[in-house]
Amino acid sequence: MLPRPRPPRWPLFLFLVATAASAAWLPAADASSDGGALAAPNSLPPAAGPATGLADSAALRATVFGTPPDEMAPLPASVPLTEIDIQLPWENPVPAVFWFNKKLRVWLSAQKKPAPLAIVIAGTGGDGNTSKLQTLRAALYGAGYHVLTMPSPTFPGFIVAASRTGVAGDLRQDSEDLYSAMQAILAHFPRRVRVTDIDVLGYSLGGANAAVVKAIDASQGKLRIHRAVMINPPVSLFTSIGRLDRLFALSIGSGDAGIERLYRQLYAELANLYRASDRVELDEDFLLGAAAAVLKTDAEFSAAIALSFRLDLVNMFFAGDLYAHTGVVVDPHHPPQVGDPLEKTEMTLRAMPFSEYFARVFSPYYLAHRAHATNASLIAENRLDIVAGALRNDGDYYAQTNSDDLILDKSELRWLERTLGDRIVVYDHGGHLGNLGDRRQIADMLDMLAGRWHRPAP
Amino acid sequence: MILRLALAALGLAALAGCAAQTVDIRSLPSATPAADNATAAESRAALAAALANETTEPAAENGEPPPQFTPADAPSMYTYDPWERLNRATYRFNARFDSAIFLPVANGYRRLPSPLRSGVHNFFGNLTELSTMINYALQWRLGKGARSLGRFLVNSTVGIGGLIDVAKRIRLPNAPTGFSDTLGTWGVHPGPYVVLPLFGPSTLRDTIGLAGDIGARYGINIVDLYRGPFWKTGSLDVVDAVDERANTPFRYYETGSPFEYDDIRFLYVRKRLLEDTGLHRHQPPKKPAPGAPAGQ
Repeated sequence: MLPRPRPPRWPLFLFLVATAASAAWLPAADASSDGGALAAPNSLPPAAGPATGLADSAALRATVFGTPPDEMAPLPASVPLTEIDIQLPWENPVPAVFWFNKKLRVWLSAQKKPAPLAIVIAGTGGDGNTSKLQTLRAALYGAGYHVLTMPSPTFPGFIVAASRTGVAGDLRQDSEDLYSAMQAILAHFPRRVRVTDIDVLGYSLGGANAAVVKAIDASQGKLRIHRAVMINPPVSLFTSIGRLDRLFALSIGSGDAGIERLYRQLYAELANLYRASDRVELDEDFLLGAAAAVLKTDAEFSAAIALSFRLDLVNMFFAGDLYAHTGVVVDPHHPPQVGDPLEKTEMTLRAMPFSEYFARVFSPYYLAHRAHATNASLIAENRLDIVAGALRNDGDYYAQTNSDDLILDKSELRWLERTLGDRIVVYDHGGHLGNLGDRRQIADMLDMLAGRWHRPAP
Repeated sequence: MILRLALAALGLAALAGCAAQTVDIRSLPSATPAADNATAAESRAALAAALANETTEPAAENGEPPPQFTPADAPSMYTYDPWERLNRATYRFNARFDSAIFLPVANGYRRLPSPLRSGVHNFFGNLTELSTMINYALQWRLGKGARSLGRFLVNSTVGIGGLIDVAKRIRLPNAPTGFSDTLGTWGVHPGPYVVLPLFGPSTLRDTIGLAGDIGARYGINIVDLYRGPFWKTGSLDVVDAVDERANTPFRYYETGSPFEYDDIRFLYVRKRLLEDTGLHRHQPPKKPAPGAPAGQ
């Protein structure tokens, strides 16, 4: 059999974004010598383009590019990896179109000796093996922890296999589902893995989940979770998501037309770059270079961030609509079967912001299932406030965030600082998760987990 | 031969499907974060250097910039897939086969020492080089064809029968092409999207191209490798396939998404259409028919 064209792993645009890190570590000298498309974004003055008003240029670039390889914390040479697929006893009947999500999949990297266990939860839409989880896993394993990485409760694989409701996005319900899943997984740990202590961590939405999981455990006591570290957590879920919706509307436009415009523009740019090059294959190297040429203005970086979030939302929206029988895109009486075309459904969902999910799936479902709930109460319950007392009084909660994180506004950042006091570190720069894995973030995270972290004097 | 393989695989996949349990624990090849990070830093530095060069030299072969694409020339966001039901069924079969057999075997292979694996990879890559050369000749891209011939000669001799890709180190990197690209150069359209058993995403033209490429490998038959009993040629193909799988970082349903089939189809067809624009570099873009899905 012959080598065949490889199917790319991510949607094309995301592929561009994910590989865009190409430009982040380009030496500044290169940028000045050709003065062209390949300037190092981090060292450039803000490029011209419609400002989003939601985040500054540096924050947008850091968010897209992530930590450059040469600024990464030292990582171990080899990390053992075990994949665990588990069927949970409370699963709802698995809908036909989700046949492949029957079991929850998590990843374990176990030490040979007895060691503390770090459970790490992914951010919105992430599975249990995202590149950010891989970085955290490597750093934690290198520091002597067993590491269990788990998908976000908003990941379709989790929604189908581990959610009791099928309607993801409720901070408390999602965290309860996570907590139950953790217990089931720990009960099936390989016998050779000896756990001395348990800590939880999470990035982005996973950070908020981690904090609530620890709070639930404090009252139920089934796992005896010791410390929790939140990395770039949201404070109000729906405010943060509202900001991403606005970012989408501002940078891409609304609905179908905006997405189609973006797609056509990107296709034309790629075609021109490809034809101007002498390449014979549109491979990873080409995309890496193209990303540096295509992503230039604030609007383009904003579009990349907003679109990647929107593509995650599509799956959660579809699953919620299917389980809640709300009929937005899934006919409750005739749900799609295995093999049915879904192109139109996906296109329709891509055009819908999170506010539609809230209004047409989330809110109808929870209003019907929760006594005395109102829209206002649903929004209020989806804030870290629900564990404010624990965050304030229990010395085992920690947080790391950035002053330019685009999912927080100033008042939310102040709330985090007031509530956590000495147990939060706020870096000047990094946008949303743009410094995850760098030396300082990892060193501080490990200090926090070991209970030896002290806020540096200003 | 491939049919027999496919039938055997089908049976095994069905067996594996019956053995579902509450908990499956699978040990995977170890991750190598330090080396991965070093590779990332290295390849990005190399790319930065390469791109700096590209911007200073005229990129197009004759110095004239190719006619520009505009957003209106982009194909529809919808994709031509008249055999969708069959394709989706094949996609599911591929996913099951992959998780039951192909991937576990590839993961076992990934535990072998890395020089051995790269030797296997380079060896099969080198075998394709001659048919690559022939295809470049048929496409009238003689410079590229000469490069393939050069690669084949250098790697077969200095590179010990193709085990080491020496040519890459003397700036003759691999530039693959196949019979489908040749058909494309001659003006054959990609045709409908097709999901092939075991091979995965394809188009009608890519399928014919693949058959041609396999035929070429058996036809060229360097040092009589592809003659002899079934077990011999069959095991060569299996080793090649396992090596290819181990080098492909794709995992079926890793996205957990019900739209994975649609997303892969979207990407595959756009990737091939973009590559086709490169086959006709100096012609103005063809206007897509209004309302027609991409690939029709």
